Amino acid sequence: MKIVVTVKLVPDPSAEKKIDPQTKRLVRTGVETVLNPYDEYALEAGLTLKERAGAQGRVTVFSMAPESLKETLRKALAMGADDAVLLADPALEGSDVWATAYAVAAALRKLDFDLLIVGGLTDDSSTGAVPGALAEHLGLPCITNARKIDAVDGALEVERETDAGYQTVRTPLPALLTTALTFGEPRYASLKGIMGAKKKTIATTALADLALELPVGAAGSKTQLRSFAPPAPRGKGRAVEAADGAAGARTIFEFLREKKLV
Amino acid sequence: MQHVVVFAEQRQGQTRKVTFELVSEARKLADRLGGKACAVVLGAGGAELAAQLEGYPLDVIYVTEDRDVDAFVLDPIVDYVEAAVRLAGPSLILIPNTLSGRDVAGRLSARLRAGIVADVVEVRVEDDGAVVCVSPKLGGALTTQCALLPAEHGIVTIRPSAFAVTPSAGNAQVVALAKPAKSYAAAIERDVEEGAGELALEEAPVVVAGGRGLGGPEPFEALLKPLARVLGGAVGASRAAADAGWVPYNLQIGQTGKTVTPKLYVAVGISGAIQHKVGMRASGTIVAINKDAAAPIGEFSDLLVIGDAFRIVPELTKLIETAKG
Ligand SMILES: Cc1cc2nc3c(=O)[nH]c(=O)nc-3n(C[C@H](O)[C@H](O)[C@H](O)COP(=O)(O)OP(=O)(O)OC[C@H]3O[C@@H](n4cnc5c(N)ncnc54)[C@H](O)[C@@H]3O)c2cc1C
Ligand SMILES: Nc1ncnc2c1ncn2[C@@H]1O[C@H](COP(=O)(O)O)[C@@H](O)[C@H]1O
Repeated sequence: MKIVVTVKLVPDPSAEKKIDPQTKRLVRTGVETVLNPYDEYALEAGLTLKERAGAQGRVTVFSMAPESLKETLRKALAMGADDAVLLADPALEGSDVWATAYAVAAALRKLDFDLLIVGGLTDDSSTGAVPGALAEHLGLPCITNARKIDAVDGALEVERETDAGYQTVRTPLPALLTTALTFGEPRYASLKGIMGAKKKTIATTALADLALELPVGAAGSKTQLRSFAPPAPRGKGRAVEAADGAAGARTIFEFLREKKLV
Repeated sequence: MQHVVVFAEQRQGQTRKVTFELVSEARKLADRLGGKACAVVLGAGGAELAAQLEGYPLDVIYVTEDRDVDAFVLDPIVDYVEAAVRLAGPSLILIPNTLSGRDVAGRLSARLRAGIVADVVEVRVEDDGAVVCVSPKLGGALTTQCALLPAEHGIVTIRPSAFAVTPSAGNAQVVALAKPAKSYAAAIERDVEEGAGELALEEAPVVVAGGRGLGGPEPFEALLKPLARVLGGAVGASRAAADAGWVPYNLQIGQTGKTVTPKLYVAVGISGAIQHKVGMRASGTIVAINKDAAAPIGEFSDLLVIGDAFRIVPELTKLIETAKG
């Protein structure tokens, strides 16, 4: 089974984030860039399926990001991906959901795969809209939030989470999946993996290779960030040490009374 | 963008509360844009669902009872919503920011070549006709104003509980949607509801959430449920609790779970990690019970009570119950 996993490279989720007041874009310098945490789960799913497929299994990671972040992909290779493809082009800067999905889909069309695994959500833009848009552009069945995946007779048997519970779904290949975090914790890169990753290839492509019909980047985007501000600060409230259960309960009860919540 | 089309999400034949919020808002937006307010109602019991929208001032309700909607993952829904939008004409499309809403929105965006703004809590139509959306981004660290650039269609996914429900007499024309000439690949073999019949988390006015500090599944039943019941709310959880299998995943609150904005949020044995915080920080009042005085949740709670949840919660439930008489 040939698998492609898409990963976005994002500023460290635990670092404080800033938007450049001039360009109105996320400041991506001065903070460490990492694999979008959600995409590590997608990669874990890809690597698990690859292992189950034995000698037939292969995982390629794909990302659209500035060339300067290329080495960040080495971590995915260290975790076990076979190779990586980076779509990098200054003209992609400022791409919104529409432009991102359009460009990424065009680049993915150049790759040969049976299964495309996409993360469910990005830590920085958090739209969760890219997977569905990719499925449309590529004409693939789209199964989101998978927590269990089994390959059966050239098709996939998937358990997926829903707002209300879960579903069991069957889909033919090729298909697009997104993974739920309950699929399983991403593995760590072993020392051997880290050493081996140095020899693996990260191929780069540029927009010129894709012959797109429509503009991308800021020029091709259909939304525009007008302004932003921190929300009204939420003042630090009171902290009260409870002498015992009854005292703690009374403190909360009186507070709720005061706020007219009981 | 002239008309407004709402994807009326339902669950087991019941229109979801967020749908009523969206159709209430749709009327106001349609009036500003000078177009029609429409809703798309799909699946088994569609006619009944359309009837549930009667008390709202819509112009058109598009309906199908096609069983395919419940038999295949998403594809029929996307086809029908697209069909309704094409019938309505240039539209601003409002979709609930739920797991399935996000999927539908992304796919429609590609099909209709439409821009998309996600997790929106306020929509404004400016005097020049521009549609500007307010949404918390970067985990709520910033509130952004994002415009949909002028185009035929635009898509907005809307956070549940962001808009008020304002019923008023409606007299909508009901239009049946034709079955698309398509066959679908991704078949649903089993559809399981967990916690069915309970108040949906995103819609509850009070949420009592538990974390790793509860130590197992039993306290969710024995401690949190009774407290949620006397407060008229629902039970939620942190990821640690959902991952441990103590509660179903659909109770998880946070970045990768649900976003909730109840009037009151009670966090019991939850440390307040950033990924949890982003799913509940917009709640009206936040009360935390935690053994650890230094737990990060104290930084954004209105009240932190430092103590043992196992002793405090039952006493609190009793106090509220007694006060209610
Ligand atoms: C990609 C990614 C996505 C994530 N998404 C989410 C998400 O959507 N939602 C989410 O919640 N998390 C999410 N997380 C996980 C998050 O980082 C935290 O690990 C998680 O929220 C911790 O859950 P917790 O607060 O229940 O557990 P802990 O952090 O272990 O906290 C338990 C708390 O209980 C207190 N306690 C213990 N015993 C008692 C007692 N008897 N009485 C009172 N207090 C007690 C302790 O002092 C402690 O503060 C995500 C993480 C990643 C990497
Ligand atoms: N620039 C990108 N490069 C590669 N994959 C991406 C990119 N942007 C989004 N994705 C994928 O789409 C998923 C959802 O992204 P989003 O819709 O932006 O929340 C991510 O988890 C990634 O797997």
